[in-house]
Amino acid sequence: MPKVFARQIFFDTQMNQKTKIEMLRRMLLIRHLEYKWAEAYENREIDGIPPSIGTGQEAVSVGTCMALKPGDFVFTTHRGVGPQLAMGMDPNRILADLCFKATGYNKGKSYHVTSMEHGVLGMGGIVGAQIPVGTGMALAFKSKKLKNVAVPFFGEGACNEGAFHEAANLAAVWKLPVIFLCENNIYAISLKFEEFIPIKSIAVRAKAYGMPGVTVDGNEVIAVYRAVAKAAARARRGLGPSLVEARTYRLAGHLCDDPGYYRPREEVAEQWSRDPILLFKNQLEAEGILDKGGFEKLEKEVREIADKAADFARKSPHPPAEEAFTDIFA
Amino acid sequence: MFSRRLFEHGAKVPPEQKRLTGYRGAINEALAEEMARDSSIIVMGQDVGKAPPFGVTVGLLDKFGPERILDTPISEIVMVGAAVGAAIGGMRPVVEMQFGDFLSCAIDQVVHQAAMLRYLTGGQVKVPVIIRLPCGGGQGTGSHHAQSMYSWFVHSPGLRVVLPSTAADAKGLMKTALRQNNPVLFFEEKILYRTRWEVPDDYASPDFTIPFGKAEVKRPGQDVTAVATLAMVHYAIEAARRLETEGVSVEVIDPRTLAPLDMETILASVRKTGRLVVVDEAYLSCGIQGEIIAAVSEKAFHDLKAPPVRLGNPGVPVPFAPTMEEAVIPNIDKIEQAIREIMAAS
Repeated sequence: MPKVFARQIFFDTQMNQKTKIEMLRRMLLIRHLEYKWAEAYENREIDGIPPSIGTGQEAVSVGTCMALKPGDFVFTTHRGVGPQLAMGMDPNRILADLCFKATGYNKGKSYHVTSMEHGVLGMGGIVGAQIPVGTGMALAFKSKKLKNVAVPFFGEGACNEGAFHEAANLAAVWKLPVIFLCENNIYAISLKFEEFIPIKSIAVRAKAYGMPGVTVDGNEVIAVYRAVAKAAARARRGLGPSLVEARTYRLAGHLCDDPGYYRPREEVAEQWSRDPILLFKNQLEAEGILDKGGFEKLEKEVREIADKAADFARKSPHPPAEEAFTDIFA
Repeated sequence: MFSRRLFEHGAKVPPEQKRLTGYRGAINEALAEEMARDSSIIVMGQDVGKAPPFGVTVGLLDKFGPERILDTPISEIVMVGAAVGAAIGGMRPVVEMQFGDFLSCAIDQVVHQAAMLRYLTGGQVKVPVIIRLPCGGGQGTGSHHAQSMYSWFVHSPGLRVVLPSTAADAKGLMKTALRQNNPVLFFEEKILYRTRWEVPDDYASPDFTIPFGKAEVKRPGQDVTAVATLAMVHYAIEAARRLETEGVSVEVIDPRTLAPLDMETILASVRKTGRLVVVDEAYLSCGIQGEIIAAVSEKAFHDLKAPPVRLGNPGVPVPFAPTMEEAVIPNIDKIEQAIREIMAAS
């Protein structure tokens, strides 16, 4: 993997061509690495909770993370591979953790793939729990007078957890540098958005906490990027948190073995026409940034990385039994 | 033995007690001294700045300012959750639950996030959060303001559970808590806040710390081992004094931390006395009393001269009315009675 990390890329409004290509590349990498994870489960190479992949949501992760700076922190949901890769983590080690292998960042000890060095805290075992924790990281930034931001990712389902409300209020009243990144993928397992939230958007809730809230097309990577960059700039100026609702669609099942009985196949098929990777590819081709065959080349390169990661994970050993008894206390 | 009037302000200190050190003040001193030493320590909680209900954090706002003494909204989930995040980010937050019972609102943040994040990340993060928990009954504060919930958390991996019964223990254990890197639940018995105690010579030393996992023999004895925490330590000592006149010698042990639990000291005592009474305000079922008895039974079964006895709340929401509350929580008479019975049984 080329060492172009999100956090090393700095620009504001005028995005250069290289950056746009990198955005597309990362979206592709997320998709293909997640496919490898799902494949490993389907081939019975791994067991446990079936993989929760974010096919269709790659633009949210990439748009958000590439708008961040060194020292910023993201807190993932159970669909965390997107932000992990978008923050520049190593695909080999991510997949190793997801296959419970000793070579992972967490030494194979959990799905909560974390790298403090990359600013990624893997969470998501308990829906919404990462929101107060992310808010606390922002409190640490403020206490230490750092200009960094904390970004808890969460779904629209988590917006009905008390943890969200308490954290949003606290962050607003203390003016903490938080971006509440709601990845609205329309489904909370089987329930569709309108079945559990009686309002048209999550972003309108921001007003009730006294913070700006915006809904963006989460399938448009540049739109996500711009919204997050704006919220981050505001937070770094000490003006407090923002809520960004990135409206997307979960093309994958809730978990990779989800038969999806709760939604019509036609609906999913129609949403594939708004695949964020496809949309961005078309845009870059229209802008002349991506030439003919450019996409295929990129995809081939990314597939190789994903294949290598799968191979790395497969060949890595499980942690030794005695590893179970370490890291309980510092 | 202790005042039932928890909320009484400005109560006069009897002249003979003036030279002693207050339990509440000892915690305050530990916080103030460590905050002066370590700028990463912050205090968060409801009313901790301007009007701390039990007065433990009095004066800290003036000393350290609003950036370090943070009055929070009434939001227990985010109070604990934000402390966890801030701890991972390099701070040392001390969270006060106004009453320990309110920690129930934030259980996930305690047992899954604070306690498990280090493990789940393969040791990549440290979570040095301290949660202060005023606890215990005996003052008519009722079921949601008088529980002793530490057994819940001793059951949960990844937490340190601390229970100081005197001023010196309170200060020394708080200082230790502020100098280590794990999540700590610091249970303070409300009935002890206004009590005053003798302290050791080195109490005023800036490095006066008491290690976790080291029980203290609060009163040596030969015939019966009584293990107790918090206010029950003092009830057990009083029961021991009464029984001494009858020639029964009771050894009172205060574990001081339940996680880690110093079984060595308890086992050594039981091997000597052969009789064990465990007394605590905790609910009996799956309570700390049973845990201690189980551990003794595993290791020193053949040293026991009589079946061990446990005293505790038998599974009743702590009542408001003093008559009913007294019936539910162990007291000096009940401890004395239990010790008489165990002596009679062997």
